Amino acid sequence: MKAYILKKLLLLVPMLFGITFITFTFTKALPGDPVYTLVGERTSPEIIEKVRARIGEDKGILHQYFGYISLLLKGEMGRSYYTNRDVMDDLIQKFPNTLRLAAGAMIIATPFGVLLGFICAIKKNSASDKIISGLSLTGLSVPVFWSGLVLMLLFSLKLNLLPPSGTGNIRYLILPSITLALPALATLVRVTRVSVLDVLNMPFIRTAKSKGIRKTHLNSIHILKNALIPVITVFGLEFGSYLNGAVLTETIFGWDGIGRFAMEGIIKRDYPVIMGCILAGTIIFVMINLLVDIFYHVIDPRVRVHGTDR
Amino acid sequence: MIVDVTGGSLAAKLFNGLVKLDDHLNVVPDIAYAWEMQDSGTTYIFRLSEGVFFYNNREVISSDFKYSFKRVLDTKTASPNTWILEKIRGAKEFMNGEAEDISGIEIIDDYTLAIELDHPFAPFLNLLTMTAASVVPREKVELRGTAFGTHPAGTGPFILKEWNHHDRIILEKNESYFGSGPEVDGIVYRIIPEDLTAVTEFELGNLDVITIPSYEYARYRDSKKWKNQISSIRGLNTYYLGFNCSKRPFNNRRIRRAVAYAIDRTKILETFYENRGRPARGPIPDILRNWEPPDELTYDPERAMRIIKEEDMTGRTVNFYISADQEVIDMAEIIQFYLIRIGLNVKIIQLEWSAFKEALNKGEADIFWLSWWADYADPENFLYPLFHSSNHGASGNRTRYKNKKVDQLIEEGQRAVMPSERNRSYMMAEKIITQEAPWVSFWHKTDFTIRQPYIKNYKIFPVYSMDKGVDISF
Repeated sequence: MKAYILKKLLLLVPMLFGITFITFTFTKALPGDPVYTLVGERTSPEIIEKVRARIGEDKGILHQYFGYISLLLKGEMGRSYYTNRDVMDDLIQKFPNTLRLAAGAMIIATPFGVLLGFICAIKKNSASDKIISGLSLTGLSVPVFWSGLVLMLLFSLKLNLLPPSGTGNIRYLILPSITLALPALATLVRVTRVSVLDVLNMPFIRTAKSKGIRKTHLNSIHILKNALIPVITVFGLEFGSYLNGAVLTETIFGWDGIGRFAMEGIIKRDYPVIMGCILAGTIIFVMINLLVDIFYHVIDPRVRVHGTDR
Repeated sequence: MIVDVTGGSLAAKLFNGLVKLDDHLNVVPDIAYAWEMQDSGTTYIFRLSEGVFFYNNREVISSDFKYSFKRVLDTKTASPNTWILEKIRGAKEFMNGEAEDISGIEIIDDYTLAIELDHPFAPFLNLLTMTAASVVPREKVELRGTAFGTHPAGTGPFILKEWNHHDRIILEKNESYFGSGPEVDGIVYRIIPEDLTAVTEFELGNLDVITIPSYEYARYRDSKKWKNQISSIRGLNTYYLGFNCSKRPFNNRRIRRAVAYAIDRTKILETFYENRGRPARGPIPDILRNWEPPDELTYDPERAMRIIKEEDMTGRTVNFYISADQEVIDMAEIIQFYLIRIGLNVKIIQLEWSAFKEALNKGEADIFWLSWWADYADPENFLYPLFHSSNHGASGNRTRYKNKKVDQLIEEGQRAVMPSERNRSYMMAEKIITQEAPWVSFWHKTDFTIRQPYIKNYKIFPVYSMDKGVDISF
């Protein structure tokens, strides 16, 4: 297990280089020039060139890329063209907010998603299965910018129970968390349902039933535990993507997270911000995947991770 | 380093310059209590008020202005605002590294400052009302270096207390402000990216004042509860349909005029735009024009169609570049409809802002939708950057219009000391521009804000640098 984790972490290094190269070249290939946003409207071509030189945009793309890599090797991510703030400082400041939002969403989505999916499976084709499955399809189809606004109108404007926007304590967290949880919840319902149905058809369940095992024991130990592997995969994917920032939800609720930060960077072609967000995102995603792999092993020891336990 | 309206309106509350604009757009004293013009408008002598202090209780003296102006012009600062001060004698040599100092700024004594220009330049005092010409405390700038932009401090009625990027900016009353200070203890700016969220916050009473999003305007205007809480100001701006005059087909004046004849701008303003602006008779906003407006190219679709046929343009495709904003997209579709009616084929190309501006700067568009907002209250602000050939392309003249006569008239206006001479030059330039139609002026947008009933003395200003936040109270 240790060797596996070490190998994964070592693999992260070439992966990050690959990612930086691809994103660097792709972002630079986009139309749009940060210098024009920086200088406003009435600047002479000479000043435009000076500003270009100040942010290093006057050099060739390879030169810029290696400059960025040498910065990274020094443990820095550069400064935003616009705010002149250290990108790493901003990421460190915003990441806890994004983490709170992602965790909030998964805390809501996971238990409800798994429970409802489980009910659907063991009561297959019943009215409750049809209702829950129908609702989960709705949850998947409704875009967050719509559900977010509806929740805001209802719970903030009409009922005045929760604040509509801002980054703050748990009261500020509830509405964006629910908004973000809805699609994840719907996905988890569907995945759990299919996974539990698969397990129900397996011979060992028939054997367990014939042994007269108590229903709660059968459900929790034999069925649910065996059905959890795909659920954990989905959980990891959803959580990982939320940790990369939820642009729409953060925008609607004015939540100061990484998603909004990245989006603003993209709109203004603030390359250090874009690169910083992508790099942080990659690291987070790889870490979550690693945790998911380890968790597979914990849930089902038969799942072996490469290089160990052989 | 500030080049945007929001940044400018914040800077106006933290800093002061030599002069400022009053409610009637006249240049009035700020830190300079008086000034006089000498040498037929080439030299200005400013007399500074005593007892103006920076946030750290150090008194402002004339050398602080010299330092501040040098900082803007210094190439190390790489400020995009050098154009505001480059008319000062010696500024260009200083910027090019040919001189250590700016010869045109002379400190006569601690409270007297002389500024000499290369030649008479009428809008100079107006340029000094911009926030980039504010005085900054040398010790703080040197301490913070490039981070002064995120830790600004000056002489203004407010002091920056907290700046939580992407969330809020908190300003606190400056108790030792030299002018009549603010009525409120502070101002909190909430950064809310989504308009509907801001509206919700406002209706819940969590915000005191908001700008009304365009799609909410009719609802507030018709609401008994809110209609008396709306403030409006005739904005110093012009919305226009620009042509690329540097390439075919719109290097042809007749085809540009045909497009102007083709569109019923009054109808669009009254219906689609819900009269949220005043019809533009030319590029210069009505409130800055001290002369009779030029004759317009009024709506005449038959004439437009005839020209398009005669110029063999029927069925030809023109690329219409717009920025990705819902109101602009709707607007573009209306214009497209009018142009299809006269026989043109219009392809709308929608780009997000940064890419849109790059495309315009490179001259890729045939036609485009854009607006121009004033930095200072002088008609020159709507002529020189937009139509003078030296600003061709990225510097403001995005229609790439070149006309020697217009260049000459604008320059004459800039140098004329007498207002009547100036107005005559500007009037003639505007007349030629309107007839040559490098762009079609649509309207001057009116700005609307809405406030809570408990807010008193709220004012809305046509130029961002005017809003010092000292009138508003509860």
